[in-house]
Amino acid sequence: MTPMIKTSTVTKTVNTSEGSLQILQPISFEVKSGESVAIIGASGSGKSTLLGLLAGLDEVTSGEIYLDNEALHTMDEEQRAVLRGSKVGFIFQSFMLVQSLTALENVMLPAEIANLDNPKGLAMDILEQVGLAHRAHHFPNQLSGGEQQRVAIARAFITSPKILFADEPTGNLDAKNSDKIEDLLFELNKNTGTTLVLVTHDNELAAHCDRQLTMHAGELKETTHSSASASEVS
Amino acid sequence: MPMTFNLAWRLFKHEARRGELTIILLAIVLSVGAVLSLSLFSERLQGALKSRSAAFIAADAQLRSDKPVDETWLLKANDEGLDTAKQVSTRSMVFKGDEMSLVDLRAVNNNYPLKGMVSVADAPFGAKKDINALPASGEAWVQSRLFQTLKLNVGDAIDIGEVKLTVTRVLADIPDAGFSVFNTDPIVLMNLDDLEAAEITGPGSRARYVSYFAGDTSNVKSYTSWLLPQLNDDLHSWRTVEDDESAIGRSVASAERYFLLASLLAIVLAAVSIAVAAQRYAQRHFDPVAIMKTLGATKQTIRKVYLIQILFITLLGIVIGLIIGFIGQHIVVSLVADKVDVSLNVWHWRPVVIAIATGATCAVLFSLYPLLQLFSVPPLRVLRKDLDASLRSRSIQFVASGGAIFALMWMYSQDLKISVILFASGAALVAGLLVATYFLIALGRKLGSGKMGPWQLAWARIKRRAMDNSVQLISFSITIMLLLVVLVMRNDMVSQWRAQLPEGTPNYFLTNITPDNQARLDRHFDDQNVDINEFFPVTRGRFVSVNGEGVNTEVSKEEESSNEGRRGLGREANLTWGNTLQKENEVIEGTWHGNIDAIYSEGWFPVSVEEGVAKRLDIKMGDMLNFNVGSEIVETKVTSVRKVNWQTMQPNFFFVIHPDAMKAFSPTYITSFYLPTERKTELTKLLKPFASVTMFDVDARINQLRDIVEQVSVAVEFILVLVLMAGSLVLIAQVQASMDERRQEIAILRTLGAKGSLIRKSVVFEFLIIGTVAGFMAALANELSLYMLQTSVFQMTASLHLEYWLVAPAVGALVVGVLGAIGCWRLLTLNTGEMLRKMV
Repeated sequence: MTPMIKTSTVTKTVNTSEGSLQILQPISFEVKSGESVAIIGASGSGKSTLLGLLAGLDEVTSGEIYLDNEALHTMDEEQRAVLRGSKVGFIFQSFMLVQSLTALENVMLPAEIANLDNPKGLAMDILEQVGLAHRAHHFPNQLSGGEQQRVAIARAFITSPKILFADEPTGNLDAKNSDKIEDLLFELNKNTGTTLVLVTHDNELAAHCDRQLTMHAGELKETTHSSASASEVS
Repeated sequence: MPMTFNLAWRLFKHEARRGELTIILLAIVLSVGAVLSLSLFSERLQGALKSRSAAFIAADAQLRSDKPVDETWLLKANDEGLDTAKQVSTRSMVFKGDEMSLVDLRAVNNNYPLKGMVSVADAPFGAKKDINALPASGEAWVQSRLFQTLKLNVGDAIDIGEVKLTVTRVLADIPDAGFSVFNTDPIVLMNLDDLEAAEITGPGSRARYVSYFAGDTSNVKSYTSWLLPQLNDDLHSWRTVEDDESAIGRSVASAERYFLLASLLAIVLAAVSIAVAAQRYAQRHFDPVAIMKTLGATKQTIRKVYLIQILFITLLGIVIGLIIGFIGQHIVVSLVADKVDVSLNVWHWRPVVIAIATGATCAVLFSLYPLLQLFSVPPLRVLRKDLDASLRSRSIQFVASGGAIFALMWMYSQDLKISVILFASGAALVAGLLVATYFLIALGRKLGSGKMGPWQLAWARIKRRAMDNSVQLISFSITIMLLLVVLVMRNDMVSQWRAQLPEGTPNYFLTNITPDNQARLDRHFDDQNVDINEFFPVTRGRFVSVNGEGVNTEVSKEEESSNEGRRGLGREANLTWGNTLQKENEVIEGTWHGNIDAIYSEGWFPVSVEEGVAKRLDIKMGDMLNFNVGSEIVETKVTSVRKVNWQTMQPNFFFVIHPDAMKAFSPTYITSFYLPTERKTELTKLLKPFASVTMFDVDARINQLRDIVEQVSVAVEFILVLVLMAGSLVLIAQVQASMDERRQEIAILRTLGAKGSLIRKSVVFEFLIIGTVAGFMAALANELSLYMLQTSVFQMTASLHLEYWLVAPAVGALVVGVLGAIGCWRLLTLNTGEMLRKMV
């Protein structure tokens, strides 16, 4: 079976005033379709950098990344945008909702960009699923943190992406809301069969995933290895 | 509807409703509104002032000719939609029985005058009233003095050449009577139909043929460009209201240039505010763009969405701006209505087109760089908030903004010179400010060290922000500079206008004063407590030759066609002599002969020639000029050329000869005096003992001139207020825009427990420092612009304005400081938690 995500000796180096700095040591691993993987690590360990590279938001310095068999590392920004639009969903710690659009319009946004039919109907359905249909016409600043993240989750799932990247999805929420969001995220993930890559420093949240990879000073190590997975990390 | 349009419309709708577009919308509304109201008002005002000064030449344009003009020229004017009228004027003898007098004869056709009114009186020297009629064929209307000289009564017949005319009215004035102290002959107005029968315009006569034209400015312009190439400079002279060299003409011309300048500056102010607002608008959209890109939107999609949104904003801004501008000029017009006769009936399209073009050009070109920056925001910003736009080339911004400002200035003024001057001083200001910014940072490193207090916080922010956002400092300076230019120009211009006719300007002239009368008159006036000015000796002399070459003093048909030799001034010129250089006369070549001991042994006396006549007659320094005075020839040599200010209400002379030359001749004297209007009744008593002295009353004329200067000044003040308002709004927009960036810092300081007073003081200090520097730089740039404007555009005497070197930094600091304090106060009232959440 072809992996949904495949990386091969991916590195990232940035130039600073004190010379170049290698943020990621060569990283190679695979994630199978439908699998959920948590990348855990302390602040500054490089986990968000890796997420940025996997999602095609940033370019690798060297190495290869394949998403659903497409060579991400050879694409330019425009091609990566098209790929993201058709196959990838995102959830962020700071929700990243467009403040001047309503909850409904925020959810509709990826569907419209991907040119799907009836984006409004799709958005209403999925808002219903996250329990926010009654707040569809509210603006983000009129919603609580938990509600905003539920809108973000709805937005992430509206295009039925093959891969979902989540960056500290509960990082900005209190314990009660965190639990709700966790449940919602994993439930939708299970129902849709989406491949989930989740970056967190919350071990409890990571434990919900099939596999946990640990990032430390730019190096990635496999912490647990689920029976369902045959992924490798080097 | 395509997705991009829907999305753009949705963003526009919500953001407009939530007040997020207020600043950029306001900036466009301001630019369109200010430009429309200013240019609409100034067009209306110019129209009003023009028609007022048109009355002084009885038309919008005049063609003066020494020969009858080609009838087809007048027909062509009619074809172009212009009204035309004709006048033939000549000096001629008028007889009534044995009595005779030289008169200024004006024969006019029935269309005369095209502008202004003929006025008549019920009795000689009676009160004048306007009349909408002209002498019919066989009639003559004559001025009061001729009634006296010829002992006329209404109904008497007078002989002019071969024709006999009946005097039917007392003529008080005609619009283009002109003003000359030497033009001593009373006017006789008659019908042009009778002129041929009079047989006074044959060869050798000095008749002047005047054609009058009036109509739409554009029609006059197009006719002018058709006519000018066909004119012969030796025969014809073309005068329009614009090139009226009188005090009124010049005031109107400089007022027009001032309006143009003020409108140009309003455009620049608007452009600056749009630039500031667009920058802010773009920065607010960094996150949404990063989100959309992350969600799969291509660059093209983003470009479309934001270009459509800018289009919506621009359209809405233009529509609101047009409405506000229209209302604004209505208010201004109604405010000045009692002072200036401004008509609201005429609709001017040009200001509307200019206003729309300004709004659109500003919105597009000034948002170009911020938008390009916006498009370049990387999607990775969703993970790393510190990532800004990747586009950092300021040169694009400078080229786009600079190009836009220059294009607008040029398009609007159609005057390359005024545009280059303003633009160059603006560019110099920007360069100067960049240097000042770096200097400030260096200074700040020293001043801002030590324990963290409001002062240190202020410097710390300047250090960080001055680099990032020198645009703000530059725009503050430009705004203050533009306001200074408009203010100082207005003050200088109005005071120079008023200086032309200061309080106490002579309002009566006396001529024909014999040497016997001179001393008596001087004493008598002194007794009556009336200050009398200098007495100038005058004698009539015929100008006969230059370097032995004869001058044509009589123009015959043959001589005209050959056009050879110099043209004289007329049969006779008024000569004066003296050792003292008159006021408002300046020697521009040679030495004033007051300093030369004339020695006739060399065979000549020194003469000083007026610059204009020297040019016209091709007279150079050292030329020998001969005058025929009485039966004697006076030989003179040009030892100086003078520049004369003809705007002053004093007798001025083309030729001033050394007094030694005129010892043998008996002159008459001419002088002037000032009598306040309330003492007018004393005139008869004053002049009673001097029956042979002729008096000219120019009081009404001076009052009229003053009136116009006052009206123009009032209008200029209103325009100043409009520009000041525009400038203040720009400053407010700038401070508000910068408050967004301060929000984050204030939230952190608040969270860390900083007191409101510390934050407020630090922000006020920061704005005070920026305001002071901006004010100082503005004063510097103002001086530079004013020098160039006054010397090259307004033909005024340039002067230093040292007081503004203190005023500008003080006012800059005060205004910017107060605005900063107000903006900061608003931020401090916000909930810290709310601010922090927005930062994340």
